[in-house]
Amino acid sequence: MSGSRSNGRASLGGAAISEHRLQNGLRVLLVERHADPVVAVITWYRVGARNEREDEAGVSHFLEHMMFKGSRGYGKGEVDRITTELGGSNNAFTGYDHTAYWFELASDRWERALEIEADRMRHLNLDPTEFDAEREVVLEELAMGNDDPWRRLSQLAQAALFMRHPYRRPIIGHADALRGMEVGGMRDYYRRFYHPGNATLVVCGDIRPRRALAAVREHFAGIPAGPGYAEADCFRPVPALPEGERRVSMTWPDRGSRLCMVWPGAAVGTDDDWTLDVVSTALTSGRTSRLYRELVLRTGLATSVSTHNDSRVEGGVFWLLAECAQGVAPEKLEAAVDAQLLELAAKRFPAPELTHVKSVLTSAEAYESETATDLAETLGEFAVDADWHQAVEATTRLRAVTARQVQDCAQRLLLREHRVVGWCLPRQEVATQSARRATARRRHA
Amino acid sequence: MKTPVIELPVARFELRCGARLLVSQRPGAPVCAVSMHMRGGHSLDPEGLEGTAYLTGGLMDQGTERHTEEQLAALLERSGGGLTGDAHGLSGSIASPSWKTLLRVAAEVLTRPTYPAAKVRRQQRRVIDRLVLDLQDPRTRADRLFRGLVYGDHWLGRSTTGTPESIAAVQRRHLVTHHARNWVGKRLVIAVCGAMEPEEVRRLLDRELATLPPGEDLAPREHRFPARAQRAAAFEAEREQVHVYLGHLGIRRADPDYPALVVMDHVLGTGPGFVNRISRRLRDELGLAYTVHASIYASAGVLPGTFQAYIGTSPRHVRTAIEGLLAELRRIRDEPVSAGELGIAKDYLVGSFALSFQRSSRRAGYLISLERHGLPDDNLERLPRQFAAVTAEDVQRVARAHLFPDKCVVAAGGPVKVGRLRQILRAASRPG
Repeated sequence: MSGSRSNGRASLGGAAISEHRLQNGLRVLLVERHADPVVAVITWYRVGARNEREDEAGVSHFLEHMMFKGSRGYGKGEVDRITTELGGSNNAFTGYDHTAYWFELASDRWERALEIEADRMRHLNLDPTEFDAEREVVLEELAMGNDDPWRRLSQLAQAALFMRHPYRRPIIGHADALRGMEVGGMRDYYRRFYHPGNATLVVCGDIRPRRALAAVREHFAGIPAGPGYAEADCFRPVPALPEGERRVSMTWPDRGSRLCMVWPGAAVGTDDDWTLDVVSTALTSGRTSRLYRELVLRTGLATSVSTHNDSRVEGGVFWLLAECAQGVAPEKLEAAVDAQLLELAAKRFPAPELTHVKSVLTSAEAYESETATDLAETLGEFAVDADWHQAVEATTRLRAVTARQVQDCAQRLLLREHRVVGWCLPRQEVATQSARRATARRRHA
Repeated sequence: MKTPVIELPVARFELRCGARLLVSQRPGAPVCAVSMHMRGGHSLDPEGLEGTAYLTGGLMDQGTERHTEEQLAALLERSGGGLTGDAHGLSGSIASPSWKTLLRVAAEVLTRPTYPAAKVRRQQRRVIDRLVLDLQDPRTRADRLFRGLVYGDHWLGRSTTGTPESIAAVQRRHLVTHHARNWVGKRLVIAVCGAMEPEEVRRLLDRELATLPPGEDLAPREHRFPARAQRAAAFEAEREQVHVYLGHLGIRRADPDYPALVVMDHVLGTGPGFVNRISRRLRDELGLAYTVHASIYASAGVLPGTFQAYIGTSPRHVRTAIEGLLAELRRIRDEPVSAGELGIAKDYLVGSFALSFQRSSRRAGYLISLERHGLPDDNLERLPRQFAAVTAEDVQRVARAHLFPDKCVVAAGGPVKVGRLRQILRAASRPG
């Protein structure tokens, strides 16, 4: 995904990008590329689980569901029906820092998405009967996630990492909070955050920018600006570094031993963010990466290992997930991970490896601009969480990362004393070991 | 509604090794994708050695006569590329400027894999570890039980990855033999999509695959499947949700009712959003599930696929869910679909068909299916016309011909007992 900026014009993946702002504060990114007769429209709101008060936990995601349950101009199910009739697709996703609504439509009919988004930005119904019915769907979604050991483990580790900040909570919330949620509270939340001043609209693909901007104005210019972000947002403590290593564990009814290590990560778009992308790639991207080569290929201690630089607005998470090969003691795998991390911190990162990692990252960017939706997602996410120009400058930023920065990041951020180590162990084995220990204690007594 | 037009030119070649090559040139595409489909797949697994075809394809990139595994990986990774193999062939992609590297590496691993003994053992251990966990996963188990109930002893009822026992029994020599016997030119279909000239692709692959023996295409075989009837199976496990699979033997892609069944599926249980009947009723109205869907066309292949409905729901909702699914199967057989529902499904299919081809990998996969199923090159224009011509009577006719609510199997994984499933099925059957 080669991006460039010159004479005030920006481009990414062969698309020309322009930014506009309506008087009510709505930011509009128009991204013109005629590779396919397709247009992606994504409306981003600067609100997510991070903005929820304790009693609102899960409301961002629940509200995302309710955005399909009726507004003044579109009754329950109408958004899906119209999208389907138009031969398009729609969806939505909620994160910690943003919530986004996506349409992909043929380029001769994409403007219908604007009508829908403008209507539900201002006139969402939030009907109490629909609210109660959809709560059951959300609870089933929660139950589905609760059956996934990786999700449970990562939630446990994240809760220990963030302690008091909303980043500690799962985006979907907790069953008790969801059961107690009321439609009035959701309406307040909607009014606080769903308005033009808190939104970014990305229109990407086979468009004529002038015509597209006129269509955006036609549908959105009449919507009032809404409260300022600072006024709508709630107070929350700054994420604090854990003091000393924390350990959490759980059991699961299968034979897997799963490891999840988390460290406080970088804020989106900072130098550390780009450097942690390099670190993550060096550790686990592909068969030539350090941890994969050592843990999976050479020693066979793990069946899988991955890392993820999950940068967020207020400082993210650096994740490491690994699964023990059967018969391998968890401590052995953990020690092998530690040895690799120590080496990364202790030795200067070799220049040939840095060159390789950078070429992996910059080449992989081709995939991030392959479709209109890919491009709109990349630009929109940066726009809401930091600055969309960062997406355009990605190659330059990655190429600028030095060996010294890689080592520094490992020394400063991937510290033992600031991490949480989580294990998910086989329930049967843990139960058997506990029983043995209890028997031994009785004998000694 | 007008059909959006998408260009998908196809250049066809027959390589000297006997393989068929389809190339779709797409100027400006940032990604090049290749798909190499080898006919036979896990149908060729020897008895007791299930998973041999999967390991043969999956371990091809563990080393060749020219390069080690690490060298092969490095060649691709530095250009954002990757290649994976399985029982049915190889597929991969790379940033466009490096397309020649991708095709050279793919051809090399296809023609010259060495299956180093240590790497075979290592990968076997990994696959076995994976299978051990899969066998304790309620959703995976339920899906496998479902296939077993539908296909019985036929190889389609078996997992391509085999079992921990069969994988443990496979030795290096089995892989070498399987590769030599079955990975031959005449069984190979290759599709490439990217910014390159088709003739240049042909020249490169003709050269790189020159040592691949042509061999013989697979002889036609007779296939027998169990009669459709009510059967049930359960994998009991302590979890929050029960994963329920309900259905029966489905259709071949070559079935003349295919276009009408695609439309029927979109009224009944698949498609975007929640406009289909099953999603609307079971998810939106009853709040039984987050994920629920049903389709007969999605698995239609050279051999019959399945009609499969899925719902992940709480244990207390299992009966309502199964009854709800069966009620919708009956309704679409018993009553003509409304003009509104039919219109929405057809509009979607006609309008969206061409939109799903933005990715090079999707285009390469489509070209493979074009060749495997003997579809015409103008299928992209022809199929939307066929969708548009489907009537409410057609939908009811194909629903009656291909959906059998009283002969469904049910497989479930989670906190549920098989006796309960049988009882629900029996109670939900129509008398007579």
